Amino acid sequence: MSRLATVRAVVTALALAAAIVAIFLAPRWDQIGDIKGQNMGVYFIAILGLNIVTGYTGQISLAQGAFMAIGGYTTAILVVDHGVRDLWTIPIAALVAGVAGFLVGIPALKLSGLYVALATFGLAVAMPDILGWDKLDAVTKSGREIQLFNSPDLIGKGFEDVTFLGQTLTFTRAMYYLTWAIALVLLVVAWLVLRGGPGRAFRAVRDSELAATSSGVHIAGYKTFAFALSAAYAGVAGSLLVMAVAFADPNSFPAKLSLTILVGAVVAGLGSLWGVLIGAAFVQFLPDAAVHISKAQGVPDAVYGAALILIVLLLPTGFAGGLRRLFSPLTTRLYTRS
Amino acid sequence: MAEFFQQVVAGLASGSIYALLALAIVIIYRSTGVVNFAQGEMATFTTFIAWTLVDHGLGYWVAFPLTLLIAFAGGIALERTIIRPVEGKPVVTVVILTIGLFIMLGGLTNWIWKAEVRSFPPNRPFPTDAWEIGGVAISKQDVGILAVTLGLVGGLWALFQLTKLGLALRAAAVNPTASRLVGIRVGWMLAFGWGLAAAIGAVAGLFTAAASPPLEPNMMRPILIYAFAAAVVGGLTSPVGAVVGGLAIGVTLNLVATYDEHLHIELDRVRLPIALLLILTVLLVRPAGLFGKTVLRRV
Amino acid sequence: MVRRFLLIASATLLALGIPVAFGSSSADPGITPTSIHIGGTTPLTGSAQAFQSVAKGAEAYFKYQNSRGGVNGRKINYEYLDDQYLPSETVRQTRILVQDKDVFAIFNSLGTEHNEATRPYLNEMKVPQIFAATGATTFGRDHRQYPWTIAYQPTYIAEGAMYGNYIRRTSPTAKIAILYQDDSYGADLIKGLERGLGPRKGNIVAKQGYKATDDNVQSQVARLRSSNARILMLFTTPKFTIQAYQYVNSLGWKPKIFVNAVSSASNVMILSSSRNQNKRVEGSISIVFLKDPNDPKWAKDPGVLLYKRIMRRFARGGNVKDVYNLYGMSAAFTFVDALKRAGKNPTRQSLMNSVLRLNERNNPFLLPRMQIRTSATDHYPIDQARLQRWQKGRWISFGGLLKARS
Repeated sequence: MSRLATVRAVVTALALAAAIVAIFLAPRWDQIGDIKGQNMGVYFIAILGLNIVTGYTGQISLAQGAFMAIGGYTTAILVVDHGVRDLWTIPIAALVAGVAGFLVGIPALKLSGLYVALATFGLAVAMPDILGWDKLDAVTKSGREIQLFNSPDLIGKGFEDVTFLGQTLTFTRAMYYLTWAIALVLLVVAWLVLRGGPGRAFRAVRDSELAATSSGVHIAGYKTFAFALSAAYAGVAGSLLVMAVAFADPNSFPAKLSLTILVGAVVAGLGSLWGVLIGAAFVQFLPDAAVHISKAQGVPDAVYGAALILIVLLLPTGFAGGLRRLFSPLTTRLYTRS
Repeated sequence: MAEFFQQVVAGLASGSIYALLALAIVIIYRSTGVVNFAQGEMATFTTFIAWTLVDHGLGYWVAFPLTLLIAFAGGIALERTIIRPVEGKPVVTVVILTIGLFIMLGGLTNWIWKAEVRSFPPNRPFPTDAWEIGGVAISKQDVGILAVTLGLVGGLWALFQLTKLGLALRAAAVNPTASRLVGIRVGWMLAFGWGLAAAIGAVAGLFTAAASPPLEPNMMRPILIYAFAAAVVGGLTSPVGAVVGGLAIGVTLNLVATYDEHLHIELDRVRLPIALLLILTVLLVRPAGLFGKTVLRRV
Repeated sequence: MVRRFLLIASATLLALGIPVAFGSSSADPGITPTSIHIGGTTPLTGSAQAFQSVAKGAEAYFKYQNSRGGVNGRKINYEYLDDQYLPSETVRQTRILVQDKDVFAIFNSLGTEHNEATRPYLNEMKVPQIFAATGATTFGRDHRQYPWTIAYQPTYIAEGAMYGNYIRRTSPTAKIAILYQDDSYGADLIKGLERGLGPRKGNIVAKQGYKATDDNVQSQVARLRSSNARILMLFTTPKFTIQAYQYVNSLGWKPKIFVNAVSSASNVMILSSSRNQNKRVEGSISIVFLKDPNDPKWAKDPGVLLYKRIMRRFARGGNVKDVYNLYGMSAAFTFVDALKRAGKNPTRQSLMNSVLRLNERNNPFLLPRMQIRTSATDHYPIDQARLQRWQKGRWISFGGLLKARS
């Protein structure tokens, strides 16, 4: 292995280890808290997924929130109406959302760039109304709003302490660790997929469809696969969201959620996994910080919007891009040295 | 039959507003390749400026053109300060920038004017009473808005096709390098596009305050998605398409909701999903929209 | 021997007595000898941020009360967090308030689904969910399952029933058309109307719904007009109420209009009448239970003057004309009332008991002679209202105080 590659492997391993330790210790930092930390984990997973279809494959999807809704409702319906243990609903939610993603990916093949963005945005905007349509009563016995609290199939029934490996954890802390454990697993999965054949194919499709086809890459296949995979991630995120609040309702998955995930992905830096944590932290904590600055009507939004604009102007390639620029002198030196 | 025409008339009315905002979106897209998520909030903000002018004693018909000028200047300023630095960056980056602008402007509007409901003086810009023709009530306001919309798109067509400025605008959008070589100030052409779109957006806002009252900070948010739908259905590069798309969406939504009464699916309450269905159907048949240019890339 | 025994006995009693004297047997969180910490959620950002005045009005009242020494020597620390009007966020913020910030009680959280989402959790944790800001009947009706929960305002079903009763008495044969918001608020108003109409329920000939996210209701109003109904019910929020009045007018339709309380604020009505050009507003009927600060008839009323004074001093930046501020203040007034009677050292249980034993007659913000009464089986604090008719630019109440119960 070349010097450069070794350095990168070591740094990556160190960073991962540091992140794992930080996540494990974070609940002890009162400011962050289990609840916000868990929600940040949900964002992390959703942003990871979006990065796959938008950052690596170049298809702008504004429907990540809609796929989260599908995953979340799958979990809610299975737990409340059918008595399925919550943990088992997570892969099912991923599957259902993944299929939905695949179905969305098919018509997306015919569309270019911004048309995909706007069509998926339409899906995101319409999703709360679709979920709230009472003709869907056949699917959800409980109607639009599904209450998971006190359900025996939910971890701790939504409030009780949980014992795991001899440790007693509160419900919120258990959800926190569960979410981040899954997030780390999904991060590794994404990393493996993206550094392997599929990842190269995704990037080829993004950079030049002509060149990709000439090299034998099945564009349609990889594009829809990217959509399906990213939607599956969103499904897991939605599932964990619903479990943590023990409640599913159409208005918790508005169009704004899809926009938030996209913001997180861009702030993180598209096409790289390094910044996803920062992107998730940004979308989780900046609105809180804005409200902290002032509660006067309109000011929190104005502050958040201004901060977003500033970040994009200062770091157009996101945090990952910024990191790259920061370390490129270092890595260049190492490279030329050897 | 009267019911049918009544719904068509109402559909053309709401559709005109979608069309106007869609027009603004298309103009920005054509000139800078960006889909501006903040178009609606820009329209709301400028409409509130108009209201403030009227509230301070300016006549409506003085405030109206003055607001258009302010909006034009504002659009240019926005392009030069915020959009210029990210020219050439990936589309997604610029989209996020416009989303940030959307949130910030919304917050500013709420902060400056609060959420109180407001209105312009009655019968501005058009009288609100109606002609009664064969059982159908056709509101003068709706006719006026439709007329202005059609006039505007006609005027834009003339601008783009028949004037030197229009030619320069088109050239700057299609081939900036070549345009610079011929002496076109590409930067200012892009800014002009934003200014023009902002002014058209202001018209949309002023009409919305009249036809879908009241004037309040969130006024344009529901309309934005229909405007996007109209732009997509009509073709993101076609101003005519935007207007046709907007009117078609307005009318179709109304007719579908009316005739579903026979089907008992209660479609009056699912306008958004129907709009989405419309977008998808059109795109499946014509991926670049009804009037968009199909870039044939068989790969 | 006896002395020894007495010494030990009294020492023991003293040791036991000390915690008893200080009250908190299980030491409820959020309360100290000098303060009481309560929390709630409200939309501070996003599309529903107009409703935040419900929290801000209450906050102003608590500050006023604190400036006069608080309640039993305790200042009320009212903390409200932003839930962006998303029920999932309401759950998160409420859990943070209860688990991390150790609030004594949840007060004045806004939204129907939002309070529904947190209700089982709060009841399981035995945290009082006081004066939820919503008119959904379930918060009063389901008290057996959720004894720690109570709302405040008259329910939408009760309001609808008032209209139904009135129509049954005065226009028993008139056909009725309804424009309604498609959520539980609109659905409840319709349910109430049907209940009030009783055997005349069949007079409802047309119903058109819309979503809060829609842009306009012109199409719906046109469809309703073709039903030729003589009465139009507007179960709509202010924006769509204003639109409905405009479209009814331009369509040349002249029904008698009932407008629901949420949209009955004077400024909404005045705007709808469009400088008196829109005559359809004249004669509209609604219900009322709060004093409208924009109504000239209350200009010299001590309660409204108090409201304005408190807003000026403790809510600078707030809009005095915004009725939601007044609502919040009224809820805060009743909360203080309940807290005063929860004992020198309140516990969550004693506060809840006090909230369920209200007999308030002097709320300065409610209509004169209104009483707030609750009991363990009556979880409807405000269950009275008056009918009012819009005439020549103002609301004129008529009939007496009516029962507004589901």
